[in-house]
Amino acid sequence: MREYLFRRISLLLFMLLTLTAFTFSLNYLFPGDVLTNLSGQVNSSYAQSQVLADKYQLEENIIVQYGAFLGRIVDGDWGYSLSSGQPVFEHILLLFPATIELCVYALVVAIIFGIPSGVIAAVFHKRWPDRVINSLTLMGFSIPIFWLALLLIMVFCLGLGLFPMSGRIGLLYEIEPYSHFILVDIIAQGFPYGGLAFIDALKHLALPTIVLAMYPTTVLIRFTRDSMLNVLEQNYIKTARAKGLNRRQLILHHALRNALLPVIKQIGLQFSTLLTLAMITEVIFSWPGVGRWLIESIYQRDYPAIQGGLLAVSVFVIFANMFAEFSHTVLNPISRNQAHGKI
Amino acid sequence: MHLLDIKNLTIELPTENGVIRAVDKVNLSLKEGEVHALVGESGSGKSLIAKAIVGVLNKRWRVTADRMHWQGVDLMRLPPEKRRKLVSQDIAMIYQEPSRSLDPTAKVFEQVSESIPEESLSGNFLVRRQLRKKRVKALLHKVGIRDDKRVADSYPHELSEGICQKVMIAMAIARNPKLLIADEPTTALESTTRAQVFRLLKSLNQLKNMSVLMISHELEEITTWSHAMHVLYCGQMVEAGPTEKVFNAPLHPYTQALVKSLPDYAQGLAHKESFYALKGTIPPLQHLPIGCRLGPRCPQAQKQCVVTPKQKKSHGHTFACHFPLLKEDKKCNPS
Amino acid sequence: MAKFKLFSEESNRSPLSRLWKKFKANHPALVGLWIFIALTLLALFAPLISPYSINQQHANALLLPPSWHDAGDVRFILGTDDLGRDILSRLMNGATFTFGLSIIAALITTALGVIIGSLAGMSKGIRSSFFNHLLDITLSIPSLLLAIIIIAILGPGLLNTVWAIILALLPQYVHSIRNLVVEELSKDYISAFRLDGASKWKILVRGVFPNIYEHIVVIFTMALSTAILDIAALGFLKLGAQPPTTEWGAILAENLGLIYLAPWTVGLPGVLLFIAVLSTNLVGDGLRQVLKDRKAD
Repeated sequence: MREYLFRRISLLLFMLLTLTAFTFSLNYLFPGDVLTNLSGQVNSSYAQSQVLADKYQLEENIIVQYGAFLGRIVDGDWGYSLSSGQPVFEHILLLFPATIELCVYALVVAIIFGIPSGVIAAVFHKRWPDRVINSLTLMGFSIPIFWLALLLIMVFCLGLGLFPMSGRIGLLYEIEPYSHFILVDIIAQGFPYGGLAFIDALKHLALPTIVLAMYPTTVLIRFTRDSMLNVLEQNYIKTARAKGLNRRQLILHHALRNALLPVIKQIGLQFSTLLTLAMITEVIFSWPGVGRWLIESIYQRDYPAIQGGLLAVSVFVIFANMFAEFSHTVLNPISRNQAHGKI
Repeated sequence: MHLLDIKNLTIELPTENGVIRAVDKVNLSLKEGEVHALVGESGSGKSLIAKAIVGVLNKRWRVTADRMHWQGVDLMRLPPEKRRKLVSQDIAMIYQEPSRSLDPTAKVFEQVSESIPEESLSGNFLVRRQLRKKRVKALLHKVGIRDDKRVADSYPHELSEGICQKVMIAMAIARNPKLLIADEPTTALESTTRAQVFRLLKSLNQLKNMSVLMISHELEEITTWSHAMHVLYCGQMVEAGPTEKVFNAPLHPYTQALVKSLPDYAQGLAHKESFYALKGTIPPLQHLPIGCRLGPRCPQAQKQCVVTPKQKKSHGHTFACHFPLLKEDKKCNPS
Repeated sequence: MAKFKLFSEESNRSPLSRLWKKFKANHPALVGLWIFIALTLLALFAPLISPYSINQQHANALLLPPSWHDAGDVRFILGTDDLGRDILSRLMNGATFTFGLSIIAALITTALGVIIGSLAGMSKGIRSSFFNHLLDITLSIPSLLLAIIIIAILGPGLLNTVWAIILALLPQYVHSIRNLVVEELSKDYISAFRLDGASKWKILVRGVFPNIYEHIVVIFTMALSTAILDIAALGFLKLGAQPPTTEWGAILAENLGLIYLAPWTVGLPGVLLFIAVLSTNLVGDGLRQVLKDRKAD
């Protein structure tokens, strides 16, 4: 176990190093002045640029520059945004929780709807629940996310007026940012109109969450169904059946545990796609998160911001992935006993 | 009364090229306390019969029988739930690859305690838990596992095949079944463990009066302790009867070939002596011969063998052959 | 009477023809295949068969609804947009960009994926570890983000979009193909081949590839559906195709302002996208199911 942890952590460090190297190289790949890209300050006078050149050690060779870059990252100096002039790190701290909140809720919805549907589809294989779930899943899988968002907006906002179209909470409510997770903030504050604010926030959350959850739900349904079908073919299920267990006990006690293990691993792999889709969703619903900020940065050619965003998002995905894989290993008795932590 | 009474069991599989008859009109009857051996090469349909009795066959197979009675109750006419209940109470089955038949994510303790019938435990929750632990320990000891704590705490992939098979036997006897069907239980085991498992089954039969239906293709091991033997070739029952009679005086050419093919180590073998075997191989399921399926390979086949021979009984010894191997003083009468 | 068979041989078809026979029996997959072929033909021949040119404006027919509406005109079957351009012609030409370019992107991705994946799968030891971890890192950057960064480096435009998508899709498919190759290499017949003295190249080409090419086709369909969605997404975000290129996502983005007045200008490109991706997924799913059935036989 210790060896496994050791290998995993060294792998993590390796990945983080490579990531930062890639981000560092972007300074040179992006069009424009390297110094501007690094620092975020444009049109600096000669004296200023000398000071900056010293700070970023542009005179030295590339390894030293990279070292300085790493040092700055750990310090928290991620440069200044070209468009707003604020430190990039502060932007990210402000906006990232909103994105994470959206992603987490969407993932929770996907798990709640996806896994039971997959199990039902596998248990009623080749009968009508399976067919219905399969067709719905295929359609949900094929729909472009931005079109789905627009359709839902057309029907629910413009047509029926049930849900608001953009933002996180109505302009009426002024919530003190505490943890930057809006539902937690509302509860924590004990605001006099807390109940209404909560419902308002939920209404704002509803459409983006549904849109974002569509793809992961379909992927989870398919994957759970495949995994479950695979497990139901195995010998031990037939043995348990002959032992006299009825269907419900069989599935709950034996099949589910074995089928869900690969699904946990798959959930980890979904994070990358989830963030991609979150970016598009945030743009459409004007959700104040990292995704929308990144896309706006690219419209405005705000290179330091893009670098910072890339770093933050990728680090998050790496950690989420690692966490999922770790839980998979912990829960899976077979891999727990492998002599070398085969990664 | 017979425990298990099967008459004319036929198992067919509809395919695009026609219906394949994997098992053709097999009779089997078992009394309480008897050990029956079901012998045949691989592909002769032995496992299919076992699975059909227990009821875990794939839905694609079509099972028909004149009679499939368990203690007088017709299994074919029962609704699936009732059948499952009846079967799980009285019949138990152990399989060929024991480690595959155990759930890889559940500890052995859990799986064995699942087999213990709930009704036999009484008392409140804590008392039952203690009882369960004791029962599992007793069961594991009974099958010859001395280190029960370690075994109960492990997962199946951490244990050797022999121990897994013993665990399976423990699970099987937890409900005190009247019949234990053993589907080639020792094929995956080494010879020492094989002997242990056989001894275990034998003692269970003698002490608890549990009938055993032993399915195997190893002739030598079973003949020592089984009461009756059924020989199966390609889905057809070619000979059945008390073991000594069938073994020492086989009436069917196939049984004779089987018996002859066992090397006699006591007499010693000549240098580079070839073993006895029938020419040819088992026909594939798609190209089964009509009539007696041994026809193409049988050294005594004649034109009449294209008609399936009827089963004839003589002194408790059943055989299905037009030209049985009767003693030399009697002439072979074609009938 | 049952079918009379003169010879007792059963049918002996090649695996490929068995695959096709099973595929034909799967009706949704077959319909998907037809739609797929129709879209490909459309992508190839759109400029020749569309009624109007994409930039032709009709000043007297602005914002006409589709022809099945009361106010619609049969001259413009799917209506016109706010500049009077015929939507049908624009969408048909869009097929060339969205669908055609996606196919090219998916083909290149699959080809590169096969090369890199086989290299990664065949290598052993430290080199293999290193390679694989490098791939894993690229997997952790969201594909859209990677595409955006590449576009930031190269600048917006349709061709750069294609490059960006190829590079963004590559990690995932290299990963899948590498897993396929590794799984195949662990089988016994490859060991037998190696013991016979086959070189690495021969093992790959004669041993591994004939057994995985069908799975590679399935991977290609998945790459294609992702490519279509990504090209459209980038077009929608105005990072990909620039107007007046009639890529479907770009059309959607252009007409976003008209969502209230003329919902069909927003709905119709989306419907086409949906149909394109759906048909690809149907074909891919059908193929996967048929491969599984054939293996079970």
